[in-house]
Amino acid sequence: MTSQELIDRIKREFGEQVLEAREPAPKAVYFTIRPEAVVRIADYVSNEMDGRFLITAGTDERPLPEGGFRVSHIFSFDKDQLYCTLQARVDGDKPAIDSITPKVRGAYWAERELYDAVGVESRNHPDPRRLILADDWPRDVFPLRKDVPFDLHPDPDPEARPQMAEPPEGATVFPIGPFFPVLEEPAYFRVFVEGETVVGCDYRGFYNHRGIEKMGDSALTYNQVPFIAERICGICGFIHSTCYCQAIEQATEIEVPIRARYIRSIMLELERIHSHILWLGIAGHIIGFDTVLMQSWRIREPVMWLCEKISGNRKTYGMNLVGGVRRDIRKEDYDEILRVVGKVGQELGEVIDAIGGDTPLMMRLKGVGHIPVQDAREICVTGPTARGSDRWIDARTDHPYAAYDEIGVEIKVHSECDVLARTLVRLEETLEAVREIQKAIPEMPDGPIMAEVHEIPAGREGVSVVEAPRGEAIHYVLTGDDNHVYRWRVRAPTYPNLQSVPVMIQGEQIADVPICIGSLDPCFSCTERMEVVDAKTEEVKVYSQQELTELSRSKRR
Amino acid sequence: MAFTIGAGILNLLIALGLSPLYEGIVRKMVRARIHSRQGPPIRQPYYDLLKLLGKEDMQVSPGRLLSVAPQAAFAAVLLAALLVPMGLGHAPLAPYGDVIVLIYVMTLAAVSVVIAGAGSESPYASIGAGREVMLLLVVEPTVAIALLIGVVQTHSLHFSSIAEWQLAHGLTAPTLFAAVALFLALQVQAGKLPFDIAEAEQELMGGPFIEMSGPKLALFKWMFWAKQVVFASILTAVFLPWPHITPALFGGGDVAAVVAGALAVVVNLVKILVVVVLIGLVDVVVPRLRIDQALNYFLALMFVALVGLALAFVS
Repeated sequence: MTSQELIDRIKREFGEQVLEAREPAPKAVYFTIRPEAVVRIADYVSNEMDGRFLITAGTDERPLPEGGFRVSHIFSFDKDQLYCTLQARVDGDKPAIDSITPKVRGAYWAERELYDAVGVESRNHPDPRRLILADDWPRDVFPLRKDVPFDLHPDPDPEARPQMAEPPEGATVFPIGPFFPVLEEPAYFRVFVEGETVVGCDYRGFYNHRGIEKMGDSALTYNQVPFIAERICGICGFIHSTCYCQAIEQATEIEVPIRARYIRSIMLELERIHSHILWLGIAGHIIGFDTVLMQSWRIREPVMWLCEKISGNRKTYGMNLVGGVRRDIRKEDYDEILRVVGKVGQELGEVIDAIGGDTPLMMRLKGVGHIPVQDAREICVTGPTARGSDRWIDARTDHPYAAYDEIGVEIKVHSECDVLARTLVRLEETLEAVREIQKAIPEMPDGPIMAEVHEIPAGREGVSVVEAPRGEAIHYVLTGDDNHVYRWRVRAPTYPNLQSVPVMIQGEQIADVPICIGSLDPCFSCTERMEVVDAKTEEVKVYSQQELTELSRSKRR
Repeated sequence: MAFTIGAGILNLLIALGLSPLYEGIVRKMVRARIHSRQGPPIRQPYYDLLKLLGKEDMQVSPGRLLSVAPQAAFAAVLLAALLVPMGLGHAPLAPYGDVIVLIYVMTLAAVSVVIAGAGSESPYASIGAGREVMLLLVVEPTVAIALLIGVVQTHSLHFSSIAEWQLAHGLTAPTLFAAVALFLALQVQAGKLPFDIAEAEQELMGGPFIEMSGPKLALFKWMFWAKQVVFASILTAVFLPWPHITPALFGGGDVAAVVAGALAVVVNLVKILVVVVLIGLVDVVVPRLRIDQALNYFLALMFVALVGLALAFVS
């Protein structure tokens, strides 16, 4: 299917419900539709045409001539390498649009966030509880609206209470979080158990929402955003800066030089290698196998040194800008890159052999944390979580970017749908990343690493997907005036993956819950976009929840 | 009486004074080496104990159970140390306590862990206590059956008679069954992977020990290390008592008796080290099992032990 066929088909099917169809950049199609038809069209795109839901972006456009709020549901046609965005405009004091969640299960969190962020209500949403904002954030302040300043500190809502689900009859609560030692980041899984068996679960996260999107579209210029974007995640930050830059480049038709694209690919694959090996160690630790942790991190360490040599930093390379990269990979480093990744590949091969023959390890991984193919499709999980459930999706081939078209990517898929499948996908991908770097380095052409970027026009839209180690990161941008992005929407890969936790742990043992959650390689900081506050006091004092809240507020101001 | 006091002091010295050393050796020589790490110094467990014993005792849940449990567990293991021979042929309390008493005393130590878990209000502790009970119910019978194999073979409830019978008859098939069952059960007794299911740091954050801090935590840690040595000694001094060191080897007489006794104690210590290192080795090369998997495993092991018991009856 080409983009023209897509436009024709949607227009033919829905006629005058479609107000406008545009293709501002190749393979990115935008439909402006009537808000009444959003459920029907989303249902058709998702379930008839097998489009995969990516994310919803809500934009406050009241200051713009068009006015109102724009709701954009972004879908992907993976085999056709197409983005399909359904946009509807809603207006009024209490803007609302019909919820697509009953038809498109993957929009479950996105529509909750839509209300939290810009205050567009999703009618008939099955679970309209608060998602990203703090429980005591006032009911009528929507932080991503343009009339809310980025440094607003509203008074807390005194009547706010956490809205957690209660356990079903006969079950008790087994709390995992808000601070659980293995997960090392704030997230609260309220697991309902009968004895040792899990019968249900509720999730509350986003405890320390940092408001990076707000900062990006109010306080920062185009070329400052990549550095903040890279700090969204502590492990796979480079994907976020790449993804943001690509979205801007798509929106404004900037042609990135080929050498810069190769450098992006190489850094992304280095990141994939160290991220996957990091995960392997943590997975080992979660099931009490610290030898795996120690050995895999020993194997990983030279990659970090290599990144430091290339970029000056073990992590958070700060190399991306709109239009290319700031730092070249020096020719004298080629040999070392090849030597380090070759060694990693060889040592990892030994680890994979050892894991395959380890019976107790197999007992803990095999058949645990089942995500059926159908659920994986409906929840729209991404990355190794999807590929462990027989989903042939990978942004590197579905929406080729950087130099992946030239290098060529082999997707690794397993169909067992369990923790073992996801483990194997990651291990094989690491070896594949090694191969890609070994291929990319010798054939990387010389040339400039930065395109010339002129003024960025306002009102352009761009959407970009990057295959992070954990899945797809998605960035949607709407450009604005004065060297500022008007709306920047980030979806981290853990966002859809976390939504599969209730499916995965249903009926499992308590002992398996940590490794199930761990098998997603959850990166809470990506979804949280959090801020760490270190408070030191000499005296011993027991804080009440109220005092703690106030303390954290005073530190932040 | 003199023997009881002398051997008693020796056994307590080994169980209390040397057990942290064994732990330190395992951490440095086995664990750290397999991890490709430098590892802490061998004397680190002593530092740990000293530090913990001097720290503040934090307790959230009300009630005395939490304070009593570590003391009871510690006392039980000390008593057990006096009921087991550690190289000298006889246990210090041999005339007063036998195999049956030991089984009771060791169960008391395990039950104390359950009490510690039940005394806490944390959901992690109660789940940990539940798991400890399940393990207890399959592991303690396995240990008892293994010990019974020795009893049935020798028609005596005393460890010294069992050891003498072994020395006289050589390694028999039932003994081998008993030794294997004891060794595998030891992994649980010492709280090591893959059976540290009750503590399960990554799932239950320490389970029954979640509220143990300072001196209480020190007592529990020390208890586990001592228990490991005491149980290893049942294996090395009772079921596998070779090589047999008699005063006759040194020409007889009082001096020879002292030399032989000292050598026997040292040889036993080395044998304990071998067992402890093997346990430590298993600990680093396996992940933690789930409770249901562990139960199945021990049910199978119990069956193996029963086969050994049947063989003992037949022969």
